[in-house]
Amino acid sequence: MPTPQPRFERCGPRRSCPVTLSAIWGASVTRYIIRRLVLIIPVLLGISVVTFGMLRLIPGDPATVMLGEHATIDSIAEFRERMGLNEPIYVQYGIYLRDLLRFDLGRSIMTNRPVIEEIRQRFPATLELTLGAMGFATLFGVSFGIIAAYRHNSALDVGVMLVALLGVSMPIFWLGLMLAYVFGFKLQWLPPSGRLQVGIELLPLAQAWGLSDWAATHRVGRNLLEFFSGFNILSAVLTANWEALWSSIKHLILPSIALGSIPMAIIARMTRSSLLDTLGEDYIRTARAKGLKERMVLWRHALRNALLPITTVMGLQLGFLLGGAILTETIFSWPGLGRLVVNRILARDYPAVQGSVIFIAFVFVLVNLIVDVSYAYMDPRIHYE
Amino acid sequence: MMTANPSKRQRAGVDKPYRSSLFLDAIQRLIRDKVAVAGLVIMGVFVLAAVFAPLLAPYDPIAQTLTLRRQPPSLAHPLGMDDLGRDILSRIIFGTRRSLQVGVLSVGLAIVVGMLIGALAGFVGGWLDTVTMRFMDVMLAFPALLLAIAIVTILGPGLMNMLYAIGIVSIPAYARIVRASVLSIKQQDYILAARMLGVRNLRILFKHVLPNCLTPLIVQGTLGIGTAILDAAGLSFLGLGAQPPDPEWGAMLGQGRYAVFTAPHIVLFPGIAIMLTVLGFNLLGDGLRDALDPRLRI
Repeated sequence: MPTPQPRFERCGPRRSCPVTLSAIWGASVTRYIIRRLVLIIPVLLGISVVTFGMLRLIPGDPATVMLGEHATIDSIAEFRERMGLNEPIYVQYGIYLRDLLRFDLGRSIMTNRPVIEEIRQRFPATLELTLGAMGFATLFGVSFGIIAAYRHNSALDVGVMLVALLGVSMPIFWLGLMLAYVFGFKLQWLPPSGRLQVGIELLPLAQAWGLSDWAATHRVGRNLLEFFSGFNILSAVLTANWEALWSSIKHLILPSIALGSIPMAIIARMTRSSLLDTLGEDYIRTARAKGLKERMVLWRHALRNALLPITTVMGLQLGFLLGGAILTETIFSWPGLGRLVVNRILARDYPAVQGSVIFIAFVFVLVNLIVDVSYAYMDPRIHYE
Repeated sequence: MMTANPSKRQRAGVDKPYRSSLFLDAIQRLIRDKVAVAGLVIMGVFVLAAVFAPLLAPYDPIAQTLTLRRQPPSLAHPLGMDDLGRDILSRIIFGTRRSLQVGVLSVGLAIVVGMLIGALAGFVGGWLDTVTMRFMDVMLAFPALLLAIAIVTILGPGLMNMLYAIGIVSIPAYARIVRASVLSIKQQDYILAARMLGVRNLRILFKHVLPNCLTPLIVQGTLGIGTAILDAAGLSFLGLGAQPPDPEWGAMLGQGRYAVFTAPHIVLFPGIAIMLTVLGFNLLGDGLRDALDPRLRI
């Protein structure tokens, strides 16, 4: 499990902490963010070395491997020239890096389209699924955790923790198949696969808003519109297409549950233990003693302080979700990045695989950075170096 | 009267001086922990199934009876037949070998390599530490399953390559754990004492430092086997791990998934097998953490 390293220290006894929120924002957080941004550069470079090496480490000549055994000598020579495979390795890496900086991830062998375009087309679907899963995991994980902590050592607590334990032990693709069978096939409550019911049309934003002509001449605008059109729920709302919205939500539920089950279990365990710690603190007793309603004690006093470890776990789980999306998308025929990776591996379309891998890794690093930095908002006691 | 012969009580061991060791204490705590014992029992069942698979399995796991394809559970075939008319119970029993093999070996590989890297980085320090740990950071910058998939893509699909991939992906976690332990142990007085006695560096590392890093490694390793089994099942499910007709649980799910709506038993039982095995390792890992963690020892 990848762990981002929050580079901070908790300062001494809590009440004597001299650091105030404004003081933090004034000086050290900005410095901290800048330092984190600078530190990310070697990691990104490292990632690029690893993904660059991916294609070169495949046993045999990359050109022959990629074009297949029946390729002609001419086509191989042409391919080697086009991919720069005749250059020394460090020149090849230099070219690769230059292309990366221009967001050029090469061309897919299967479709001959730029890989970045294929990623842009599919990434919104993966993001929608990931957010759905995270929403499910947070909502149910935190609720279960609160229930378990409040009914500590009761049958309910044991039950919730048992479910959490089974949740982390379950293969998500199996859970996905079972969910699709029970709710999609037997009960027919929810669709077992796909993103949108066949027959329901969801127009791209440019078309729905009558901006096709404008988009044809504005590349950036067109790309942005295309990108946001990829989020079914968002674009259904923006185009007031309620039928498509309802269908998209229904299609999102089962994959989100399957993908979100493990994070849900982990968040539930974390919420329970973190809340149990907090509920034992003196200030909770004080809050109760002064006659505050239990709801107030929970939301204002206990949960706020229990939140930090929970957020840490949520941040860590995002990486798992990006990896797990590969399996979930395969089960539910979800047209996202994960399916792209799997299909292209089987088709030996290495540039597409390489591009997707580096893209996901970059997203993952960025997410971790955002999680780390957002601690500053959540815990004013944190003292940044 | 004093006699040279040991008394009955002494022979029975009652008067033996009280013997205790940290190891025995830990074992005792582990046995008292019901949850950990449950994990041990589950694991024991699966280990026995793996060892005695040829004796336990009622049928040949790869023999096909095409007339019985997709047959639901019956008396003759308690868990039913799969897509190609193979007995699912026999395949699950033989699959235990694959899953345990991949889980234990890949974690073993990760522990050995991770321990060496972490120990050297922590013990030697300096640029070696910086370079190796930054490389570990880069590996951690990939979602684990994605990196494993990338490695299998390079090496080519197959059981052994999958095993290597899962092992390689888990190395950074162990390297970090060992490095952290080494860094703190390095400062202890007994290491200073060993140095003053003129003990060589390598001997200090292997005799005095590493044995004291084992506790977190054992806990992480046990939990890691569960994760490795899950990852392996995922890779095999995608067709990147064990190849047909190998009875591997993930591959059974992958091959059976198109039959899920017509014959759900093909998918149901291998999944339960995976879940129970991983559950066993998770329960034991949690129990070991409680038993071995010195902070909980009062």
